[in-house]
Amino acid sequence: MITLDKLNRKEAVRYLGGSGIKLNYRMDSLMDECENEILKKASPKFLYIEKDLPFSEIMQGDDIKRHLEGCEKAVLMCATLGAEIDKLIRISQISDMARAVVLDSFASVAIEQVCCKVDELLAEKYDEYYMTFRFSPGYGDYPIELQKDFLKLLDAPRKIGLTTNDNYLLMPAKSVTAVLGLSKTQIERRKRGCAVCNMRDKCQFRKNGEHCGF
Amino acid sequence: MDFKGFLNDREFVLLDGAMGTLIQKSGVEYKSVPETLNILNPELITSFHKAYIDAGADIVYSNTFGANAYKLKESGCSVDEIISAAITNAKNAVLGTSSLVALDIGPIGQLLEPAGSLSFDEAYEYFKEQILAGKEADVIVFETMTDLYELKAAVLAAKENSDKPIIATMTFERNGRTFTGVSPASAAVTLTGFGVDAVGVNCSLGPNELEPVVSEISKYTDLPIVIKANAGLPDPNSNEYDIMPDDFAKCVVSLLKYGVKIIGGCCGTTPEYISKIKATLKKEKYRPQKKCVDTTVCSASTVVEINGPRIIGERINPTGKKLFKQALVDNNIDYILTQALSQVSGGAEILDVNVGHPEIDEKKMMVRVLKSIQSVCDAPLQIDSTKPDVLDAGLRYYNGKPIINSVNGEEKSLNGVLPLVKKYGASVVGLTLDENGIPKTAEGRFEIAKRIVERAESIGIDRKDVYIDCLTLTVSAEQDACRETLKALHRVKTELGCKTCLGVSNISFGLPNRELVNRTFLTMALEEGLDLPIINPNVESMTGAVRAYRVLAGIDKNSKDFINEYNDSPIVVSTPKTTEIDIFTAVYSGLKNEGASITQKLLESTDAMQIVNEMLIPALDRVGEDFEKNKIFLPQLIQSANTAQECFEVIKKHISVTSGSPVSKGKIILATVKGDIHDIGKNIVKVLLDNYGYTVVDLGRDVDPQLIVDTAVEQNIKMIGLSALMTTTLKSMEETIKLVRQRKELQNPDGTSKCVVFVGGAVLTKDYAMKIGADYYCKDAKESVDTAKLVLG
Repeated sequence: MITLDKLNRKEAVRYLGGSGIKLNYRMDSLMDECENEILKKASPKFLYIEKDLPFSEIMQGDDIKRHLEGCEKAVLMCATLGAEIDKLIRISQISDMARAVVLDSFASVAIEQVCCKVDELLAEKYDEYYMTFRFSPGYGDYPIELQKDFLKLLDAPRKIGLTTNDNYLLMPAKSVTAVLGLSKTQIERRKRGCAVCNMRDKCQFRKNGEHCGF
Repeated sequence: MDFKGFLNDREFVLLDGAMGTLIQKSGVEYKSVPETLNILNPELITSFHKAYIDAGADIVYSNTFGANAYKLKESGCSVDEIISAAITNAKNAVLGTSSLVALDIGPIGQLLEPAGSLSFDEAYEYFKEQILAGKEADVIVFETMTDLYELKAAVLAAKENSDKPIIATMTFERNGRTFTGVSPASAAVTLTGFGVDAVGVNCSLGPNELEPVVSEISKYTDLPIVIKANAGLPDPNSNEYDIMPDDFAKCVVSLLKYGVKIIGGCCGTTPEYISKIKATLKKEKYRPQKKCVDTTVCSASTVVEINGPRIIGERINPTGKKLFKQALVDNNIDYILTQALSQVSGGAEILDVNVGHPEIDEKKMMVRVLKSIQSVCDAPLQIDSTKPDVLDAGLRYYNGKPIINSVNGEEKSLNGVLPLVKKYGASVVGLTLDENGIPKTAEGRFEIAKRIVERAESIGIDRKDVYIDCLTLTVSAEQDACRETLKALHRVKTELGCKTCLGVSNISFGLPNRELVNRTFLTMALEEGLDLPIINPNVESMTGAVRAYRVLAGIDKNSKDFINEYNDSPIVVSTPKTTEIDIFTAVYSGLKNEGASITQKLLESTDAMQIVNEMLIPALDRVGEDFEKNKIFLPQLIQSANTAQECFEVIKKHISVTSGSPVSKGKIILATVKGDIHDIGKNIVKVLLDNYGYTVVDLGRDVDPQLIVDTAVEQNIKMIGLSALMTTTLKSMEETIKLVRQRKELQNPDGTSKCVVFVGGAVLTKDYAMKIGADYYCKDAKESVDTAKLVLG
């Protein structure tokens, strides 16, 4: 069970294109309200399974091979904030669009925080291993189509209500699937960099000389 | 003996335990899905069924939980092959015993609209295919459902393609709701209305944790209750469950007081559990629910009990409302949704939905509006139309138990409407009029009410689901009519024992100070026994009168709701200091209310177009520039846009009063392409375009290319904006553009396109946009406005 008690405000502001902007009082209180609302409505759930490598079902493309190079095991994980968050954002888009975008960015922050907590949990559980970062379907040449296989392997639709549609969009929307590699011998600390990112051509962070942090 | 025989003759009906657990324990390998074992290893599956029958199961579930076309896609087998094999295996197992075979159907595995993108009709087709393939089974079971809408599609598919009895069970989380937010009460009310044969819960939790859910269900149905719980919780490492057969059976017995009659086990249970339950139940008796809540309507998440006056909001109705009519013609669903949300926050507990207008396809619109409202609003709805085919469509796509408005004493109406009410398990408003019009006297109206109730009961509709409307007439025209209405209402309530409903506002037509007359009439009617006043909930004195009545009539115990509502309301109303800021500041700082009042003032001395062109637009432009320079961030940009919108609304109203023609700089279609459901970006663009004076025809998300092209042709629209978030949905964007270019009506005589297409979305680049044939790529909402200015002026 994962609970969130605080969300990273700086990140949320950054997603909204506001890093470096001094927020006025009204914006600050809007941020407060939205953070609380997301914390209240989120119902974080996650699943993971461990697989011995090589595990051919999830190996497609070069990037995943590089990612799991030298690893003996892989952990497949998924996490979601639940359907209430989607509904909350949907409703606020009708009544107050400004609020909706703030809620949306806090929800993105929240799912990332949930994933980080899962990382910590895994690091603790597999403390005799070195662990790679999370690599998700859709990164680099790793096919997004694997979304469906991940969810099936994890029995995610039944266990936590996480599904995809025919276009491999995760539903509820604020959700993540990923694979992490485990190795007994030290692995090179690779960073999720711009090189494998599909957004590198049009990323606003990159254009501003920033980095998204992943 | 068949299933209904079991229900009548046996104290309890025993189901089997888990199939998956036995498959897992056997260590047998299978390809893709466990349902393929029905064909690859039929003896094994039959032996599992036999083990459960030997343990005492009266009904075994076929090994078909995931045997739908979506999940079987990669298995190499068809639905028909797997299901017929599975039913044969189960039939072989029950041979020579009295046990029955249930066709087991689980969720499709994709999320339905509105949260997901699988449509109700697609879901219906998946289930229909399974039901036809399993026609040899004795019972149909739907289990582990988490979405009431999906379950509705399933039950309808069963009812319309089979006459087998139906068991329906859903899966609830520890918070007492399903993943999609369905409440046990809503599930019970809706499924009972549909006429399934048993309802209950399965999976997710152990029987020790199911008590709150089971007790809630039993309050809202008189059907036998089913439980098929997990053997507790699985250990994450060993996958072993933590409740042993003895304890499991004991927990089950502790739930019998809620009317539990049909019992089995889900994940982690084995034949041992079933034989233990059987042994333990020998000493027990079935205890049907004594009394359940009788008059209810619901959405998927909220049940409204009609146990005192409940407010029905009347404002979703185009009659006499110019803006509403325009919204219908323009397909402006957001306008209607805003009305829905504001009525609920005003105090409405049920919303009437009427979209009848000669210029539109009422049936299509009704379905679209109902689905849209239900995606953002939990209040149950009242489907209001004079046309049975519109009511039929509305009932089919509504999620929950709605009210139908209405049937009347005419033969045609009784024959056309009541069977629909029965089929979909709805409630219905009965109007006390017939071929001869509205009777003048209370007696005449009472007689019609009686006739409607009798007819309803003759086809199996309970009178508790008929709400009689004794009709409000205008008191300025017929002064005595008010008394007759109230007299009739009183008689219906006391002599027929029906709930009553009344549209209130009609009473004051033609009089000054209508609100005062309405409120007084409302109070009189409440005292005569009015249950469902149909009013404008945003008129505080009307809603307040209902709240106060609930206190005075002793319904609102200890005045709890009343105090909750009014205790915090501010006593001092602060007056905004509008004089100190100008319109530019209001827009720039996003001060909505101030913006509107300043505009109002300005209009007394300044030309409307001058305000638009010299004040509002420059303010918006400045906001846009500052946004681009990273001086303000996205929420501020939107708040400014919203403020400008308030100003524009004031101006629009002013212009339509003075000249009659509204101002628009041109129409633009916006849509998120087929398959894509992330629409927040598109909606931001919409807010901005709206505020620069363009009329946006918002087709929503996951939009069929054909609809986009047809709308462009029908409404003669020259500009289309498309949004896609995922690489996988860029295909749909390309297809949509192609279709726009191909359509003859959207081409100039020389073959060039009349339509400008602009695109945007996270994964798009300018190059890619050009490659798929778009005219413009817009990186954000601001650029979309710049493009619109360029194209439409």
